[in-house]
Amino acid sequence: MKKIFLTAAMAFALLHTQAQTATPKENTGFESRKLKLDEINLVSSYYTQNGNNAAVTGGIGSQKLNDIANVFDVKLSKYDSKSRKHTFGLEVGIDHYTSASSDMIDLHANSSASHADTRIYPSLSWSMENEKKGTTWALGLSSSSEFDYQSFGGNVSFSAKTKDRSGEFTAKLQTYLDQVKLVQPIELRTGGLTGHGENYGSAARNTFAGSLSYSQIINQNLQIMFLADLVQQNGYLSLPFHRVYFNDGSVHQENLPDSRLKIPLGFRANYFLGDRFIIRTYYRFYTDNWGVNSHTADIEVPIKVTPFFSISPFYRYYTQSAAKYFAPYQVHTAADQYYNSNYDLAKFNSNFYGAGIRFAPPKGVFGLQHLSMLELRYGHYTKNINMNSDIVSLNIKYK
Amino acid sequence: MPTDSAITTLQAFKKAEKLMGNRFEITVVGPDQAWAEAKIEFAIAEIRRIERLLTTFDEQSQTNQINALAGIAPVKVNREVFDLVQRALRISTITDGAFDITYGSIDKRLWNFDRQMTALPDESTARSLVRLINYKNVILNEADCSIMLREKGMRIGFGGIGKGYAAEMAKALLLKEGVKSGIVNASGDLTTWGNQANGSPWTIGIANPDHRELPFSYLNVTDMAVATSGNYEKFVQINGKKYSHTINPKTGLPVTGIKSVTIISPNAEIADAMATPVTIMGIVAGLNLINQIKHLACIIIDDDNRIYTTKNINIQ
Repeated sequence: MKKIFLTAAMAFALLHTQAQTATPKENTGFESRKLKLDEINLVSSYYTQNGNNAAVTGGIGSQKLNDIANVFDVKLSKYDSKSRKHTFGLEVGIDHYTSASSDMIDLHANSSASHADTRIYPSLSWSMENEKKGTTWALGLSSSSEFDYQSFGGNVSFSAKTKDRSGEFTAKLQTYLDQVKLVQPIELRTGGLTGHGENYGSAARNTFAGSLSYSQIINQNLQIMFLADLVQQNGYLSLPFHRVYFNDGSVHQENLPDSRLKIPLGFRANYFLGDRFIIRTYYRFYTDNWGVNSHTADIEVPIKVTPFFSISPFYRYYTQSAAKYFAPYQVHTAADQYYNSNYDLAKFNSNFYGAGIRFAPPKGVFGLQHLSMLELRYGHYTKNINMNSDIVSLNIKYK
Repeated sequence: MPTDSAITTLQAFKKAEKLMGNRFEITVVGPDQAWAEAKIEFAIAEIRRIERLLTTFDEQSQTNQINALAGIAPVKVNREVFDLVQRALRISTITDGAFDITYGSIDKRLWNFDRQMTALPDESTARSLVRLINYKNVILNEADCSIMLREKGMRIGFGGIGKGYAAEMAKALLLKEGVKSGIVNASGDLTTWGNQANGSPWTIGIANPDHRELPFSYLNVTDMAVATSGNYEKFVQINGKKYSHTINPKTGLPVTGIKSVTIISPNAEIADAMATPVTIMGIVAGLNLINQIKHLACIIIDDDNRIYTTKNINIQ
């Protein structure tokens, strides 16, 4: 237990005083003194004097003490005069990621910025829960910066539970105000081969989203959830580095309308069949004003073979119609106002199936105490427009 | 929707029971109710066994036999009681007597703490009230496993350590019974192990001294014990100043200035035993003590709602 972190509400933070600076007037008859070595090690040597090791930290033994929670967050919550609970959170996350495909923007350079960008996104959140009424209000602000992308976001949400607490309704409004750096394909850059970063222009992309959801516990075995969203995007919605080739062989930067309205509607149901089976289903209908309509259907059936071993086969079907502005390579003409050749906007359907296996034996995977869980997922993905892939993911939990 | 990706149908099962004069709440995470209830019953039986061993309400208990023969003769006790007393004396040494199992030797004929109190006794009267409180007068004889109190009128009691001991023993039994996760909460002195049914660590709230039903803060822990001692439960106001029901065994006067002390430790017995002495020693000496002991952390709230913490707690 080297450090324990205390995340503070502002009101309390001001009052926090460290030991060294505290000089309260006290007359308790107790003086500060320096402890001896065996006193400093009170916790680890608590039972060893008489050989009774069984109870210390539940039999883990003192040698394992150093493995126990070095870091944990202590969050301060504050109740106001109406006994409503306020919670504040502040976090800064740094995320390191690598992406191979963005290297194709600049064919000449071994670009350093784009293949290992570091994203830094601080966020600030506040929520107020009225436990008596079962209602919660929350506000959040976030920002994130990348090499070619800057984003500022805000959200407000309200949720209320039904009287018997089995159902919960949530409404959320979100907005993202983004700046996209216009990194053009290299042959379309005006400055020739030298342009790097600082010369690019940028454009705004604003997203406003409203979402409604309702979840209901029907009975011990069945839980359902309805989801509805309304998303409006304005501004620069194309990807600046996507190329489009016209029928005359000329190359252009893709051009898409500066407004898009998206409506996804979803339904989720989980059925717990006895102790061993869970049937998870999901269906989503999506439509937007660019002409894309899609349906997603998903089913996953986790089966608990033993308490520590489970198998979950899954299948997902997806189908969509093409956007009005899509045409393949060298089909767009100069007469088109908008043009795009990105196959994400083409008509296609896809199948994704596979299974996951999960081990979480109490004595650790392969008898290794530190390896508490191992999950292996394999999926085969096929798209009817020339794309097959096999996806294997491994998820391990290390204690 | 909860438990979206977890396959297991683990659930937390809880039971509250009045034990050792306190409300114990035992939570175990398990696959089904019958299994969980059986485990909880084991834990309750274990705590009842410890209660019989340590109680001062039963004339026949080993504790009362020691008290009855104070200044007269040693009493042979169970190894378990002997070990517990030995550990308690070690905590007394570390806290310079702020923790003392002979605390019950306080002379109640002269002064009984209650809410109607209007004045404090003078310093010398106060000191005479606590003259029999002295852990150094507990004589342990390892050879025949006996305990003797040197002075007539001395009494020992396990009020400051018994709940933590019982919680720790109940946890050890549940672990042996194959319970991978749970909480034993002895009226706010609690010990946790494993994780919640959904895999995340336990969230432990620390009571707000001004709203005892509500947490002023919370922390996520696993395999940690948390104990809180405070004067917000029992106090008296004299000339506008708040005095706790806790008596400083050095001065004989009630403790003042601190609303609550929370100790975080891997061991519930230590957490329980350390919370009250920090209140007695005061902010400076108390923090100095906990800061030096490895694997212990402490949060103090004073009467003006100022928060003091050991160095291993950081405000970010």
